[in-house]
Amino acid sequence: MKLPISLTVNGERVEALVEPRLHLADFLREHLRLTATHLGCEHGVCGACTVLVDGAPARACILLAVAADGADIRTLEGLADDPRMAVIKESFHQKHGLQCGFCTPGMLITTLDLLARKPAPDAAEIRAGISGNLCRCTGYQGIVRSIQHAAAALEQAEEA
Amino acid sequence: MNAAAAADPNTGQGVGAPVLRNEDRRFLDGKGEYLADIQLPGLLEVAFLRSPLAHARIRGIAIPEAHRGRVFLASDIAFAQPISAVGAAPGFKASDYPALAVEKVRFVGEMIAICLAPTRAEAEDIAQSIQVDFEELPPLWDMDVALAPDAPRVHEHWADNVVVETRIAVGDLAAAERDAAITVHRTLAMGRHAGVSLEGRGVIAHHDRRMDELVVYSSTQFPHVIRTILARALGLAESKLRVVAPDVGGGFGIKNNFNPEELAVAALALKLGKPLRWVEDRREHLVASPHAREHRYDLTAYADARGRLLGLKARVRVDAGAYSVWPWTAAMEAGMSAGIMTGPYDIPVYDGTAVTVCTNKSPLGPYRGVGRTGAAFAIETLIDAVARAAGREPADVRIENMVAPDAMPYRSVTGKLYDSGDYPECARRAVAAIDLAAVRARQGRGEPDGRLIGFGMASYTEQSAHGTAEWVARGLPVVFGYEPALARFTPDGKLILHVGIQNHGQGLETTLAQVAHQELGIPVADVVVRHGDSSLSPYGMGTFASRSMTMAGGAVSLACARMAEKIRRIGAHLLQAPREAVRLAGGQVWFGEQFVSFAQIADAAYLHPERLPEGEDPALEESAVYQPGRSTGAFSYATHACTLAVDPGTGLIEILDYVVCHDCGTMVNPLLVEAQVVGGVAQGLGTALFEEIPYDENGQPLASTFLDYMIPGACEVPDVRVLHMETPSPHTRFGIKGMGEGGAISPPAAVVNALNDALRRRGVELACTPVTPLRVREALAAAPRAKTEVVA
Amino acid sequence: MKPAPFAFHRPASLADALACLATGEARPLAGGQSLVPMLNLRLTPVDALVELRGVPELAGATETPDGAVYGALLTHAAFEDGQVPDVTRGLMRHVAGGIAYRAVRNRGTIGGALALADPAADWLTTVVALDAEIGIAGAAGTRWVRAEDFVLGPYFTVLEPTELLTAVRVRRLPQTTRWGVCKVAVKVGEYAETLVVALIDPARGESRVVLGALDGAPLLLPATAAAAGAGTAKAALEQTVAVELAGSDRDFTPADLLLHATAVTRAIAEARS
Repeated sequence: MKLPISLTVNGERVEALVEPRLHLADFLREHLRLTATHLGCEHGVCGACTVLVDGAPARACILLAVAADGADIRTLEGLADDPRMAVIKESFHQKHGLQCGFCTPGMLITTLDLLARKPAPDAAEIRAGISGNLCRCTGYQGIVRSIQHAAAALEQAEEA
Repeated sequence: MNAAAAADPNTGQGVGAPVLRNEDRRFLDGKGEYLADIQLPGLLEVAFLRSPLAHARIRGIAIPEAHRGRVFLASDIAFAQPISAVGAAPGFKASDYPALAVEKVRFVGEMIAICLAPTRAEAEDIAQSIQVDFEELPPLWDMDVALAPDAPRVHEHWADNVVVETRIAVGDLAAAERDAAITVHRTLAMGRHAGVSLEGRGVIAHHDRRMDELVVYSSTQFPHVIRTILARALGLAESKLRVVAPDVGGGFGIKNNFNPEELAVAALALKLGKPLRWVEDRREHLVASPHAREHRYDLTAYADARGRLLGLKARVRVDAGAYSVWPWTAAMEAGMSAGIMTGPYDIPVYDGTAVTVCTNKSPLGPYRGVGRTGAAFAIETLIDAVARAAGREPADVRIENMVAPDAMPYRSVTGKLYDSGDYPECARRAVAAIDLAAVRARQGRGEPDGRLIGFGMASYTEQSAHGTAEWVARGLPVVFGYEPALARFTPDGKLILHVGIQNHGQGLETTLAQVAHQELGIPVADVVVRHGDSSLSPYGMGTFASRSMTMAGGAVSLACARMAEKIRRIGAHLLQAPREAVRLAGGQVWFGEQFVSFAQIADAAYLHPERLPEGEDPALEESAVYQPGRSTGAFSYATHACTLAVDPGTGLIEILDYVVCHDCGTMVNPLLVEAQVVGGVAQGLGTALFEEIPYDENGQPLASTFLDYMIPGACEVPDVRVLHMETPSPHTRFGIKGMGEGGAISPPAAVVNALNDALRRRGVELACTPVTPLRVREALAAAPRAKTEVVA
Repeated sequence: MKPAPFAFHRPASLADALACLATGEARPLAGGQSLVPMLNLRLTPVDALVELRGVPELAGATETPDGAVYGALLTHAAFEDGQVPDVTRGLMRHVAGGIAYRAVRNRGTIGGALALADPAADWLTTVVALDAEIGIAGAAGTRWVRAEDFVLGPYFTVLEPTELLTAVRVRRLPQTTRWGVCKVAVKVGEYAETLVVALIDPARGESRVVLGALDGAPLLLPATAAAAGAGTAKAALEQTVAVELAGSDRDFTPADLLLHATAVTRAIAEARS
């Protein structure tokens, strides 16, 4: 039996009737057509589906849409105007932090949260911070450099 | 050079420049379009019913009445021809790989039925409701079980489970054996694993009413080739089939096969006239996508007292799984491993046998490094063993055995023609960068935390961009000899390159633009690269075998060079200058201080032919097809050197330092080259340390989710230091050599060598991958304690 | 890989939640970080889920003079970030920060982890080491069970299908108690291969060493704890550990023994340092 849910997605109120078994990632992708949220494993390991739930990163593939009732969800699409995310994206471009791009949305959202909690992480803290986001292309080196670059750029922007 | 040209902001974008990628923007905005992102009206989702058993006869399939019309079996798509990849080697045993199992299932994960529903969840409900009556057969769950004389056969009409056995024997092995002061024998094993692109495979098929064609989207590395084989398998005219590879979330070889899923979905969409979509999930990927590696080696090296190799005897056995993948055939892994075994070493005598074994497992297919990762693991661990027997530093023994630079071009004992390079210098640079003397001193001091330090290195040669001669020699159904490019200006002066390769992370939308810049002086940002669609680009072979930069780069260069000539002619005419006196820069044609823009030239070429020189054809479009000067391949090479620490209490390994010195000829974009090397190393470390799908005695795969199959995360991959050498290939445009796979070739050998170096004093030597903490602990626990103390 | 269908209840009170569970056919859903993957894989068939998010009795933490009561719905991140009272001298905060990955810690709960009783999960071994009590609500009210009596085996506890784990009651660690943790995982964020929590208090003569991530329930090592508390030197302590592990009722391979003995020794060394 379908259940009604009401939540905020990227700042907009969304009401829907969903099967309890539908996970949030499929709700975003198939119902709202927000396809930046990728599915790489559907058991909560790879991190490609990471979104912000009430401001904190969560795996959209192991969060049921009915359990996100009332929540404030933000996907990469909803961060298009976020000035901090703009800096992070530019850093990933400058430091070659992506290849095929599939892990990238989850990696960007994890980075946004990591740098909010730890504005000046060292390389080991960055690696630990993104250890829940798998990338098969880059070997992570470009990603670590991108995050270091972003941290410095954000610090500079805040001082200015 | 005039002031305007010197100030051109677009210089520094050509071959050799570290240009940032054109394709980044859409991915950073989450606007990449991968297969699962594509929606079509009326789309039905596919879930496959897959075999839960390794080996069984199908006695019957019961479909609940409620689901009739939504479940389709082999008989429903009987018009689809099975996949057949037959090698040319004498004695190769052919088998048919049907889209859906017909009478028998031969591995866990083999497809039995297609289930359709509006959502994937409902399609899975249907699959779960189907009852299959199986008659279980004894599973051939290991290659040695399959090789037993009385073993049941995977394919009944075969005499045994050997797909094919081939042998290369050159020189007098008996003499080498007789003359050897050192004889070293080793047996090695590499685990079976999966390719694990972060995006799984996937297929969408629908009928385009207006074009009256079947459109198949596939997350594939070679859409044009898929169109050819799919048309044949479906009995369609190729002109009535369009294959599109959208953004592809990693390939690494596993998306470089003609898969039964592609055949099944396309066939059923054709039959039903409805749009269908299958998106591979992670469990399907791990269980049923083409697998990687699983080699076993019996090796004997004969050497003189200093460790100079006199001869090598090798027997390679590869577990190829149940079927032969198209177009590579089941024999590819074993054949390539035995064929490149001597690597960068000058070994005069070789007797190599390659045995491909058929078992009840998912078929083995190409994966980054194909064959060579195993070959390097074999020869490189063997050389360390020889060095230990000679009582010498492995680095020294290794370098002494290498092909000398003055021997280039060099024909190896297995008949490979190495085109250029300085292998010993490459190895010396890697060893110097890691500071071997300091590592040895550190080992002597011991670690305060009780960990053991080890040094290991491994070298390889990577045949890349091989063309007609090589593929004909391998006897494949398709000869991947060339690449095309169509360069087409738009009337507003921007350039679109249509190419037959497929970009899935390599940065080809940028590097091919750099080649265009090199020939035309057009800003990279003004170049669009179109690929991955059989209706948009000329017929090409796709992206695999470290070939796209060399092959498509050569084609773009040829087409753009012709285009440059035409632009010069038109530009000179418009500037009223002699043709020899004009040059191209910054998207303009210059004569002294005067210029015309490409936009003005394109405008003339397309919209104002009256402005063109007399006899000049309108339009700005050139196409070219490129083949390298020699089609035997351009050989990249590298030495990897690493230091690691192993914890004898837990078996955990930490890579402390990792250096790659490599030579891929001329680098088009060193930024992207370095990233490809590092990414390859990360995958190689996965092979070395983590990744494995063991099978139990029932033929059940024991790693089917990311909960039990581990790939390296950010904490498990070290910062890799990459040193570049650039020896241009004499055979290719710009001297480019391919390099996409190389990073993944050496890590298993380098890591296992380093581990054994660290554990030497404990009297322990490991000879397998992955070297998991458990395997290290088992070896340590089994080592006689007394020996531990005695061996210094 | 999508779940089979199930019903979904959203109770607003503990009584409602228990009523939903009364048939014994429904399963409680807390953070879902372990349960939903199993549902996605269709490895755990369920008829109905009872979402606990709206049950106020399971939320929050209360500090008391002799310790704290932690509500089942507290996330690992709440412990990691120090949002709850610390009565364990930083031990629980340390353990929380090592569970899986941040995105999982943001959703996963201490109650959910304990109720699942995955032997390799961090909280189970920790609460046994802390000699904590587990609050269990059922039709007859709430009972408190010692952590070491709560867990019976892998994924197997004294919880009945009709009951709910409501809270964890942890006694305040004395100033004299020092702790050490040794967790060994193949990868950062993975489940533990071995996990040892050691609480050493020579002054009070109360030490406790617990070995987890085994095939069964966490294993208390009283002889080792006594030796560690008595200040036994390293070599002799290693001997004690080896003897106690070998003499336990668990079936350890030589490779297991090496690993677990290492972890026990290191956790004790950390506690003593």
